[in-house]
Amino acid sequence: MNIPNSSTAPAAGEYAGDEVSAIVLDPGYSTVRAGFAGEDVPKSVCPSFYGLTDEGKYLFGENAIHAPVGNVNIKNYWGSDGIVEDWDTATKLWEYAITSRLTGARPGDPAKNGLNDGADANGDAMDMDIDAIENNEKPLEDSPLLVTEPGWNSAKAREKYIEIAMEDWGTPAFFLQKTGVLAAFASGKASGIIIDVGASHTSVTPVLDGMVLRKGVQKSPLAGNFVSSQIRQTFKQATPEIPLTPHYLVQSKTQVDAGAPAQATYKSFSSNPPTDSFRLNEEDRILTEFKESVVEVWPGPGRFTNGTNEELAKNMPGRPFEMPDGWNQVFGPERFRAAEGLFDASAALTSETNPRPKDEQTIPRLVQAAVQQVDADQRPMLLSNIVVTGGSTLLYKFNERLNYEINNIYPSTRNKLIAPGSVVERKYAAWIGGSILASLGSFHQLWISKKEYEEHGAGIVEKRCR
Amino acid sequence: MPPFKDDQIIIIAPGSETTVAQLGLPESFTPARVRVRSRMFPAEKEGEYEPYKIRRKQDKHGATTSEPKDGAQEEKKSNEDEDEEIVWEEDRVSEEGAIWPIQEGRIVDWPCFFALITHVYNTLNPVFHTAILLVTQPAWTPREHEKLTQFFFEKFKTPAFGLMDAALATSWAYGVHTATIVDVGKDKADVTAVSAFIPHTQGRVISLSGCGGEAFTQGLLSKLKSKGLNRDMCEQLKRSPICEILPVGVPVPGSGESPEHTTISNPAAAASTGALASGPAAAAAIGNAPRGPGVDTEVGEDAGIDESEGVLDVASIVAGGKMTEYLAKKEREKQDKANAKKKGAPAPEANKPVRLPNSRREKATFLYEDHALLDNLKNMNLNTQDMADAKSALDEGPSRRQHENGENGELNPANEAKGIGSIRRDIEVGNERFMAGSNGTLEKIADAVHRTISAVDEVAQRSELWDSLIICGNGSKLRGFKEALLQSIQSKYLISPSSATMFTSEIPSNISTPAGTGANTPQPQLGPHGGSQVNPLLLAATTAQTPHLMPHGGNHLMPGMSHNTHSSHGQTPTSIKFVKPPEYFPEWKDVGFDESAFLGAQVAAKVIFVVDQGQSKGYMTRPDYNDQGPQGIHDYSL
Repeated sequence: MNIPNSSTAPAAGEYAGDEVSAIVLDPGYSTVRAGFAGEDVPKSVCPSFYGLTDEGKYLFGENAIHAPVGNVNIKNYWGSDGIVEDWDTATKLWEYAITSRLTGARPGDPAKNGLNDGADANGDAMDMDIDAIENNEKPLEDSPLLVTEPGWNSAKAREKYIEIAMEDWGTPAFFLQKTGVLAAFASGKASGIIIDVGASHTSVTPVLDGMVLRKGVQKSPLAGNFVSSQIRQTFKQATPEIPLTPHYLVQSKTQVDAGAPAQATYKSFSSNPPTDSFRLNEEDRILTEFKESVVEVWPGPGRFTNGTNEELAKNMPGRPFEMPDGWNQVFGPERFRAAEGLFDASAALTSETNPRPKDEQTIPRLVQAAVQQVDADQRPMLLSNIVVTGGSTLLYKFNERLNYEINNIYPSTRNKLIAPGSVVERKYAAWIGGSILASLGSFHQLWISKKEYEEHGAGIVEKRCR
Repeated sequence: MPPFKDDQIIIIAPGSETTVAQLGLPESFTPARVRVRSRMFPAEKEGEYEPYKIRRKQDKHGATTSEPKDGAQEEKKSNEDEDEEIVWEEDRVSEEGAIWPIQEGRIVDWPCFFALITHVYNTLNPVFHTAILLVTQPAWTPREHEKLTQFFFEKFKTPAFGLMDAALATSWAYGVHTATIVDVGKDKADVTAVSAFIPHTQGRVISLSGCGGEAFTQGLLSKLKSKGLNRDMCEQLKRSPICEILPVGVPVPGSGESPEHTTISNPAAAASTGALASGPAAAAAIGNAPRGPGVDTEVGEDAGIDESEGVLDVASIVAGGKMTEYLAKKEREKQDKANAKKKGAPAPEANKPVRLPNSRREKATFLYEDHALLDNLKNMNLNTQDMADAKSALDEGPSRRQHENGENGELNPANEAKGIGSIRRDIEVGNERFMAGSNGTLEKIADAVHRTISAVDEVAQRSELWDSLIICGNGSKLRGFKEALLQSIQSKYLISPSSATMFTSEIPSNISTPAGTGANTPQPQLGPHGGSQVNPLLLAATTAQTPHLMPHGGNHLMPGMSHNTHSSHGQTPTSIKFVKPPEYFPEWKDVGFDESAFLGAQVAAKVIFVVDQGQSKGYMTRPDYNDQGPQGIHDYSL
């Protein structure tokens, strides 16, 4: 029996009170990941898209942004350059991601302690009015915070991160680390080339001994969202045009023959229809499903457009897809097209609004440019540690193609791709790396404490977080 | 010797509406023995709470303390000092001014919540050496788990404490390792995908507000408000057996052929058609049961009572001091009714169609317990005799008491006494009673299920999740709800076999000759129709070979069958099914598995406290707590 003193209360301070669990925040274009250091998956994964009502009310979280109501614009706080643009919203959204699933709202918060809302039967109350919380205690007063940043973050943006953490959230200690380094840590590497294909950007980051080679960092907008827009064009250019009807517009669907027009009963939103941006976001859900179940990367050898490859693809069995309205078709060789632009700019589908991507934006060229910036004697070592991460690398056969392309550029070195097997590790690599880093005992020396921040100001982040 | 015996285990499952608990595990698991409403009342002193409403009462006679009031539900407690004529009365029925510490699954008022837990604990009155298992709501955060751990160890000095997620508990109850659990509560619904006994925390739909039982009440209210029904009436209507959600395609009686879903855009129209179709008098009569053939007697009389409003809202009449008039009027009605019967007038219409199934009847009546009226009566400081008189005069349902108690008793056995002293009236409603779900609640939950399963990272697991749907929670008790939800999900999300691949070969042409192992032989159940069952052997064999290249559960040998080993579609769901409820819990079978989370917690408590004895860290012991503090709980929770 292991309960000798089961009735004695612990003395004050008897339990390990000095062990505080840090919070790791990994904001991305598509989702924000947050969780406690030392755990193996982020507990809180919250969409970076948010709703803004006409009255200026913010709606955060999956439940709120997918509810088809009128007057809500779905937005994202990231800028097109891969740097946070709307800092005010970013602060609120990150805070929501942390408080909703990790720490909980502070007690005594008048907005939600139940004393004031009485019989509030208003349906979609998922939306929290963050403003009301502001004059209360700060949300992170007892947790150190590790935040990830993209490799190309500007100095000004970096200072902003620490200002939010210290001023708005009152965190006792803070550290900023680049996603590339953390993704390498997650795979147990201190050096390597990190290829991160996310939603808005693809980046290639050379990391040497845990330090990012800043001049080697490459990024391009050819990533998940680019593939989505390629799929949209595929649908548009098909004859007849393939309709893209999101779920919320459909009441119920009827089975139809492949390629036949849909015969669904639709819902009508006569009085207060959801906005266009809402529809766009809901359409993206279907495109995600399409990417998961249909899109395939041409695995090589050679590019898809080369020689007889397209002929080969035609003989492969097609893959069917059914739209929410019941329209369905089998996708043959065109399913290879959508992702081909990631590797071969000339193969990308173009239109007036979507110009042809530049050649140097493709993944092979990014890798080449990044490796170019590294000392020649370090290159073989880096090329034997190529870490692949990011949700868009889950495209079917992506790794085969990447492997082919890299071996094509560097035939003489021993190139090795390190791609985590589990989907979770691939998607959340940077967060997992952060979780490992922040739980290390030695990491406590790295933190920027509140005192140091007060003494040196926001500029300290440039000195300490390299 | 196990550290804990079966009878030394407490299970507590707090909910937004009802908190259930039990001390000891019986041989055969039974539904929770202790049920309390999840609310407390502020006590006189700031920061303290009482489990029942304490009413301050000016007592005129001073001697009434010993007089039993009206049945057992009211105990009078006189203050110790008798010279002061203030009497405190414990009112076990009333919920005026109650604080509900859990809202939409979240704990919003911690002091009150702790007071509630303490009340539950004291009700159970356990011996000292008793382990506690707490069923947690998905909306509770890890920090809140720590807070709870600290509270339980320091307040109750419990020797062992464990936390269990409600969704996980449900999957334990059903005995399935993989399931999609839709937990419909009071104001919210949680949708959780559980794979191999591990809930997917990412993409889990937590506390989807406006999708619980309350939403149905509001749905009824929005339809019936114009008829003079209030929220309380709608709540009781919802619980009565006449309220149900009809399957799609079954016409709502009295409204032509329109099924309930089409009325979303225009609820008023459907409501009005129902009223129109039921004849000229009925439009006014809906909800006004005691009328009978004596309709005309009311017209043109009783200037003191506002006819259209007042008949239903008796409470305000009484409060307004017009009770005597009202009673007189009722007396007349009764007289008229009796006269009419004597004259051999046709029996009231409502009595005839009773034998029709509910879904075919245009109108139906239910018995309404008027708590507001009772509250008002109490507030009027009537003496006991008056009170009893008033009650018996207003009460209309003595004959049906038994029947109604059976209904209520199921929901609130703890308040067994509830029905006895309350005042009941018959209320008749039209086909609005089938429209509880017409405000889009079903669609919202259906979308949440789709979102939850689509957010599961491993695409290969999704079809199994679709095939094991569990709907639980007391909000799902509404008749026909589960079937309607399944239908709603199926009509929107089910992927039918594509006509383009239906007749193509099961095996892609470029596959090599099957090896002798049989691993490549297509399984017969992999047909295009509902063949989403992944052969576990096949899956294991293929994933083991190429673990790092398995983003979609695909396989090099079979490019055509790549994505989730399904024969034609990479998409899910190709079939949607409910999990069959467990059969070996006879006591649970009788009441239904809506509270299966509690059953799961019983199973789990048996396993972790008695069988496993803490070897796999299913619970935290007192020494563990002393060593690690509240944060340690994360290492021990299931």
